[in-house]
Amino acid sequence: MTLRPYFTAFGLQWKIGLRYRIAVVAGLVAQMWFGAVTLMAYASVYHAAPDVQAPLSLRQAMTYTWIQQSLFTLLPLGCLPAIGDAAKTGAIVYDLLRPVDMWNWWLSASLARLLGNAVPRAVLLACVAGPLAILVGLGAWSLAPPADLTAAVLSLLSITLGALLSATIVMWWNILTARTLSPLGSYAVGTPLAVLLSGMLLPLPLYPDWIRPFLLAQPFAGITDIPIRIYLGTPIPGGVATGLGLQLFWLTTLTLLGRLWMRQTVNRLEVQGA
Amino acid sequence: MTHSRTLSALGLYRRMAGASIVAQLRYPGTFAIQAIGNFITTLLGFFGIWSLFRRFGSIAGWDIGTVAVLYGLVNVAFAVAETLGRGFEVFGGEYVRTGSFDRLLLRPRSTLILLLGHELRLRPIGRFLQGAFVLIAGLWLAPHVQWSAVLVLPLAIAGGAAMFLGVLIGQAALCFITVEGLEVVNVLTYGGVEAGQYPLTMFGRWLRRFITFVLPLAAVCYYPALFSLNHPDPLGVPTWIGALSPIAGFAFLGVMVLIWHRAVAGYVSSGS
Repeated sequence: MTLRPYFTAFGLQWKIGLRYRIAVVAGLVAQMWFGAVTLMAYASVYHAAPDVQAPLSLRQAMTYTWIQQSLFTLLPLGCLPAIGDAAKTGAIVYDLLRPVDMWNWWLSASLARLLGNAVPRAVLLACVAGPLAILVGLGAWSLAPPADLTAAVLSLLSITLGALLSATIVMWWNILTARTLSPLGSYAVGTPLAVLLSGMLLPLPLYPDWIRPFLLAQPFAGITDIPIRIYLGTPIPGGVATGLGLQLFWLTTLTLLGRLWMRQTVNRLEVQGA
Repeated sequence: MTHSRTLSALGLYRRMAGASIVAQLRYPGTFAIQAIGNFITTLLGFFGIWSLFRRFGSIAGWDIGTVAVLYGLVNVAFAVAETLGRGFEVFGGEYVRTGSFDRLLLRPRSTLILLLGHELRLRPIGRFLQGAFVLIAGLWLAPHVQWSAVLVLPLAIAGGAAMFLGVLIGQAALCFITVEGLEVVNVLTYGGVEAGQYPLTMFGRWLRRFITFVLPLAAVCYYPALFSLNHPDPLGVPTWIGALSPIAGFAFLGVMVLIWHRAVAGYVSSGS
């Protein structure tokens, strides 16, 4: 078994992500706008209720929001665009003919697409929201540094698992697309789920207390929420090990079930077109 | 034949809209999934605000009824604009880059009518219903609802829809320069919805000024809501302003239409 084809698939999608430099700048402006609106809203909510003991301090909620905004394109919002096109035109049969493991082939492409989009945006926004914001005197609104050195290292490990987990969820959307022969369904289902359950809409620790254990245990929390909690040093029930354990659990479960679903889908796939 | 067979602009728009609706209902499954997805996405948006309210007891001192009215107003207005303005949203990619705008110019009708007829999109019905639902719930919960709200809220929705349609037309006019559509303009549409659902007092001064004087978001949302709920403005603006301010949305649309005509007059085709 050789790994070369998977690296090629990865390299190709990674380059596609890096091609659109104007889109990166446009995305940065949009993320800063949404970040600013959200931050001001949180600031006035926190200041109006100084006695409430929230699970996140205001500074932590702000940092959470910045990291979440910078990693927006890492979320599994829908299928890989190339697979959506291939499903519509029928070109998906070429993928079936390749002498490679199709799960790994699509997974490496999906992961590269996510990282190619997210890494430049995240680095750029981290510079603007971190050092640059402090330089212009907006230190109170800036991205806080990690809690300590251990938190920094562990959150880096955790975000790596998060990226893999996100690519695995994208694989589920890819299979859904292959099954329905249209990418629209995967976006209609994927975007709302990812935006809500990852903590993009509101940091997961701020939801009502009765629902928080469920929100932590579902797979989307493993993409960005758990890495951010480790970065901030906010307590996770059972410690960092629970966080990393949940990520590994979902990664394994979704991979095994997904491979099963993919085999079943490929066996009965009917492709339209010439 | 005695009478002319030429359609009036309104008759033409009605036919194009009818054809678009029939086309979308051809795929009832896709339509249903998209509308439900739209409904759920926006509903979850309000769940986030509600959770903040539950945890902190108020939204920066505002009761949940007022915030729900603001949220409902801005979402209903945006849903109407989204339904009508699809042609402007895809204008760069589908008309300017491909050169098919040249064909529209040959037709003896206003380009605005032809682009409005590009598609009457049904998908935003999810956002519309959800916004209307939250708006009514907010009126139910708010303590001092005025009877005049029956007049002011529809005016506010119309003004808000006009303003968002103006943004879409302005975005399309920008495509004459940039060719491809720029996602940055989403800051004014989706970002406007995001900012409009919170009370104005929660924002810093630069943002308050921007969404009052540049984009008249506060005029179509915040002030009419305060008027309808008889809620004094913490920043000291008299409440009656809210009964008239939605007109600013129509004025904004008017300015964008003027810019559009200027831009069309200077249009140079991208080729064959």
